[in-house]
Formats: sequence, C-alpha cells, structure tokens
Amino acid sequence: MATMNSGNNSNTPATAQVVMPSPKQTLSTAKTVDTQSVLKRLQSELMALMMSGDSGISAFPEEDNIFNWKGTISGSKDTVFEGTEYKLSLSFPTDYPFKPPKVKFETGCFHPNVDVYGNICLDILQDKWSSAYDVRTILISIQSLLGEPNISSPLNTQAAALWCNQEEYRKMVEKLYKPSV
Amino acid sequence: MSTQPTSTMVSDSIPMALSNPKDFAKKKRVNRSAKLKQCKLDARREQWLSQVKNKGSKEEPNGEGGACGQGIHVANERGKLMEKLAIMPQGKEEENGGCMNHYSDFDSPSNSPTSHTSSVLEGNDSGTNFTGGSSSSNSSSSGGCCSGSMSEEEDDGCLDDWEAVADALAATDKKQEQHNSSLDSAPESDGNVVNMSSQVSGMDSSQQNPKGRGTLPGSPVSIRAWRPDDAFRPQSLPNLSKQYTFPMNSGRHYRGGSVWGCKSLSIPTSCPICCEDLDFTDTSFLPCPCGFRLCLFCHKRILEEDGRCPGCRKQYKHDLVEGETTRDAGCLMFRPARSCSMISRS
Repeated sequence: MATMNSGNNSNTPATAQVVMPSPKQTLSTAKTVDTQSVLKRLQSELMALMMSGDSGISAFPEEDNIFNWKGTISGSKDTVFEGTEYKLSLSFPTDYPFKPPKVKFETGCFHPNVDVYGNICLDILQDKWSSAYDVRTILISIQSLLGEPNISSPLNTQAAALWCNQEEYRKMVEKLYKPSV
Repeated sequence: MSTQPTSTMVSDSIPMALSNPKDFAKKKRVNRSAKLKQCKLDARREQWLSQVKNKGSKEEPNGEGGACGQGIHVANERGKLMEKLAIMPQGKEEENGGCMNHYSDFDSPSNSPTSHTSSVLEGNDSGTNFTGGSSSSNSSSSGGCCSGSMSEEEDDGCLDDWEAVADALAATDKKQEQHNSSLDSAPESDGNVVNMSSQVSGMDSSQQNPKGRGTLPGSPVSIRAWRPDDAFRPQSLPNLSKQYTFPMNSGRHYRGGSVWGCKSLSIPTSCPICCEDLDFTDTSFLPCPCGFRLCLFCHKRILEEDGRCPGCRKQYKHDLVEGETTRDAGCLMFRPARSCSMISRS
C-alpha cells in the first residue's frame, strides 16, 4: 500500500502539470475550431495530391504554415510553355474550401492571363470557385490555362496580342523565362 | 463461416490505407455485425436445410448455395439469373409475357390485378402453360432476389411475397418438392404470388410436381421461403419488415452486407468538402440532382453563403430537392426532405 500511495503521490503532480496547460489550450482551440476542419481538409488534399502522381504538377506546404503552399507546374507538351517550369504560391483562407485560395505565380510567366506580379486571372479562382475544387484540380487548371489562354480578357495585353503567332510567342517565353532556384 | 469475418477484415484493410482509418473502423464494425447476423442466419438456414435433406434430397444443391455468405449468395443468384436468362428464349412466348408482367409489377403495384388475372388465365389454360409460368417465375425470382437486396422498394414486395407464399404453402402443401417449386416464385410481385399460391391450392399436386421436377435439375433454384410453423424459419423475415419501417437501418445493413461493394462506389465515405466522415444521415443526403454529396454541416454552410452546389455550381433549390426525393429510389426516399426541413428550421 505504501508503495502504491507513494506512486500515486508522485503521479498526481505530474497529472496536475499535464492538466495545467489544458485550459490555455482550450482557449486556443476555441479560436481554431474553424481552422481544425480546414487543417483536416488540407492534410487530406496533400495526401491525395501525393498519391495521385499527376505529372507536371506538385505542391507542398511551407515548413511553418500549412495554410501556405508552394506549387510547381511544368508547361504541357506541345505548347509554347513546354520545357518550362513555374513555381506558384497558394495561400488558403481560414474559410477554405468555401473560399478559394490565393494563387500566384512566383516565377515570371509570360501569359495573357497572368500579370507581371504573377496574379492569375482564372474564373475558378474567383467567381467560379467551388468548394469541390482542391489543390490538385487548381494546379491542373492552371496548367491547362497555360496552353489555352483566354485572349478576350487579358491581364497581359502584349502576350495576348502575340498569342496568334505561336513561334514568336515561344521565343518570347524562352527569352523571359527565368527559372527560380 | 469463421473465415468470413476475417476475409472482410482483409478486404477492409486495403482501402484503409488509402482513406481515413477511423472511417473504415466504423464501417468494419458495421460490416462485421452484418456478417455476424448473416452467419447466424446462415447457420439456421443450414440447420433447416439439413432437415430438408433428410426429407427430400432434391434441394440439397440449392441449400449449399443458400448457406454461403450473403455476398456469395447474391453472386450465385446473379449467376442463376444469367443462366435462366439464357434459358428463357427457349421457353414459350407466354413465359416472356409472364416475365414482363412480373417486371411491370415491380414498377407499379397497381398493375397487379391485371397481371394477376392474366396469369391466372394462363395457368388455367393448360398444364404446359403453367410450367412455362413456373419457369419464368424461376427466372424472375432470382431477379427479385438480386434487386431485393439492392433496393428497398423491391424488398417490400419480396417480403410480402415470401409471407404470402409461405402461408399458402402451409395451407396446401405437405410435400417438399412442391414446396420447392412454389418457393421459386417467392420473391415475385404480388399479383403473381397470389396467382401462384392460388394455383398451388387450386391444382392437384400430381399435375404440378412432375413439371416442377422437369425444370428444377436444369436450373439451380434457391430455397427462399419457410412454412410459418417451421421451427427454423429464419429471423430474416421479421428483420426485413423492420428494415421496411426503418429504412436507415436497412440501408446500413445492406451496405455492410452484400451490396457493400456496389454502394461504396457511388457514395463517398467522407465529405469531399471538409473530409470528415459521412455519417448515415449524410450518406443518404442528396441535396442536388447532380448527385454531389456532402455532409449536412457543409451543406448548411454553403446555404448560408452563396447556396450553390459545389458539384455543379447550381443554386440549391428546396422544392427541387423535395422533387428529387420522390424521384430517388429506395432507401433514400424520405430523408433528404427531412434533413432539408432541419436546415430551414435552424
């Protein structure tokens, strides 16, 4: 019995210590209740993306923040962007996936629907967003946008004007392409 | 029998690696309990069949089929259906007519009186006609078994039929072969069951039995009904009625059981929006005609915002959702409307 008691005595401070931080935690979790489901969604998206094995697209969260991802897209074959690779940043809002992530080109991209800052004009990232989209479908959409720009509403008018001349456009892409390290 | 639960575990463990383990643990539990039920049921059936074997050895091969797991059983049924479909064209045209009647009965129970009279006429015409009817009922019976385990509506029909046939049999039959031949017609539609049972009672058994024997060895037939006084009458019959009154449970049961594989293809196991497990209400919740499923929480949240279906981007429509429920078949019938009313209340 004595040993039992001593064991209990030695345990109780430990449990008390364990219990102590929990009120603080509940406060913080109360704030993050919303983001909890976002985390789960992003984690499963990451899993799905890594399992999918899609060629030419990849994405991974930044080390410190799962709400910020870095993605890569390679230009599709038989397009003027073939052989080029573009880095993108994806930042997810706390109400993701009900709101779209902000996606930007980190690598400069000479494209009718990408401006000089890397902003992308893509309907599914704005008004046509659906919570059924995920990182994988976003990256695939951007990849296909590279080869099939929407010339009618360009962000980069020079690129839009040049698009009709694919040979010249290819030269321009090669000239402006600065692969990031 | 003992191998079945383990085999399900093995089959579960494969998708478990791909998706949420918790989710699959839950399913496994359901699956296992369904299997256990099925095992008990099968054991009882086996007992009964072994008794039958002593009385008449004719039903033995069918008994083996029935004693297998439900999934295998359904597969067998399908196999038989295929066999019988192959046999079908050899039969008379009246067979096809009879069969058509069966299927139309499945669609609308209101048709049953007409088909009832027509098939009664058929049966009264001559002995050969009746044989045709019985063999066609064989084929439709296996069809009924398959579809019965897949959708709720046809289950009801099956249940009624089983009961009706079993009662009719108890009243008239003493011989097991006769039992068997009319058992074939068990899961038929109402009209034809009445027809069959009336024939069973009306006709003398000597005329019917040889015909039954003629058709039976060619095509394996499942034994599906029990006399009400049979001590080994399986509990599945009351279970079915329970499922009828609580469609939720039955859906779960079947998903855990035989048709689990089919269902899992169409219904996602987790909400595509929040990636949380879909509970039973969620899996039966179909808010949009496009078929996009999501959990009630996400649906509510979307309704609070733009109210558009993530699957097709169309606005969720309440009246349309209710229209959808009536169109939707089987166990999903009433719940979407209910869950919608929940949302509008909150």
